[in-house]
Amino acid sequence: MVLRASRWKWSRAAWQRLFLVLLWLGHGGWVFLGPHPGQHWSALVERLSRPAESLASRWETWQTFRRERALDTTQLRAERERLQAELAEVKRQQAEAAPRLAEAEEAISLLGLKQQIPLELKAARVIFTTRPATFGGLIIDRGGDLGLVPDQGVLAPQGIVGRLWSVNATQSKVLPADAPNASVAVMLMRSRATGVLQGMGNGRAAIRYVSNQEVVQAGEAVLTSGLDRVFPRGLLVGYVAEVAQGELELKVVVNLSAPLDRVHQVLILPPHPPLEVQPPFLTEQPKPKAKRGGA
Amino acid sequence: MRIPVPTLLRQNLWCAVALGLVVLSAPFPRLQLVVHACLVLALAPRQGSPLVGALWAVAAGWCLEGSLRLYPHLGGTAWADLTMALLAGWMAGRWPLEGLKGWLQRLGAFALMQALLMHGAVRLAAGPHALGWTWLWPVLTVPIWGWLGWRLLYGRSGSGRL
Repeated sequence: MVLRASRWKWSRAAWQRLFLVLLWLGHGGWVFLGPHPGQHWSALVERLSRPAESLASRWETWQTFRRERALDTTQLRAERERLQAELAEVKRQQAEAAPRLAEAEEAISLLGLKQQIPLELKAARVIFTTRPATFGGLIIDRGGDLGLVPDQGVLAPQGIVGRLWSVNATQSKVLPADAPNASVAVMLMRSRATGVLQGMGNGRAAIRYVSNQEVVQAGEAVLTSGLDRVFPRGLLVGYVAEVAQGELELKVVVNLSAPLDRVHQVLILPPHPPLEVQPPFLTEQPKPKAKRGGA
Repeated sequence: MRIPVPTLLRQNLWCAVALGLVVLSAPFPRLQLVVHACLVLALAPRQGSPLVGALWAVAAGWCLEGSLRLYPHLGGTAWADLTMALLAGWMAGRWPLEGLKGWLQRLGAFALMQALLMHGAVRLAAGPHALGWTWLWPVLTVPIWGWLGWRLLYGRSGSGRL
């Protein structure tokens, strides 16, 4: 038996079926493609690339955030350095202006005190202090050139400072009120009891010759009594710090109100001032004349 | 009783007439849809040689969509018609016709399937669109055009009674 290779050939029905299949698939593909054939592929590509795009977007956002943060940090650092420089400059200017400012404030206070006391006061500047030394005092820049003489009272805006101890041509030495050899006639503001203030050093002084019968309270103001003819009556000396009963007299310790270690400018009272001076606002005003009849 | 298959000439003749009616009935969409369903489901399918019927169905689909001129991408109706014509021809060969009653039942089911398939294919091709109620006309008028198709194709073999 001889085997013959049969010739491969499609029948008419097979060709028809192939045509039908192609027709059906062609129509189906055409329908599936839709009005915009590329949109399926673009949608597929978009869907597939969505994770990568999301990742890239987050990466870009993170980089932008880092860049802005670094920029902010740089700007903040520059701003801080600029503010530090400005602060240092302001502090330097403040330090430079502080002495002049303090001096100006002191001068204003002195001016106010001078206007309150209707006497011929002379201003002077403290140029040196020897208070730490025994029997030390303050050295002021005025002396005989301004007509100063010893035992003239010296004032500061906060209270009395002391009296002139010695005077030379251009300088004078002030004996402060807290010196052991200094004495000022004083009186207590509330009880009006008089006494003599004697220095104890370090801005403190004791009042002598105050009777045990007097009632003195701590915190009470101490004023000059004017009896020593160095200070007129009524100038502030200090405040009572301690009160104790003694055998014959009260032991009254006073904190002087004038900062003797920090005083820079002083006013000098005239020699032998009057016992009592009236401030300008207490001077007697002329009474208005009474009206006559109806208007 | 086995119903004899109509001659190819007769079938093509009536298909051509129906296709002409599909084109001419364009101003009346409901009527056009009924004639279209009759052509695709009743006249075009042919057992044993599906190619001719498929071509008539494709032509009916393209004529319908072309006369409507509404879709941005034509072809959905033609594809649905092609599928339904092939399915109807295959069923005619697999389960031969035995009478008018079975014919009408088969056409009713085909009409419903064609409505759904057309809607899906057009939606796939042209995008979402409103379904509406026009698809009910071919389904509700199945007895009319089914009986007419039966008379036209198998007029010699049966009286047309149920």
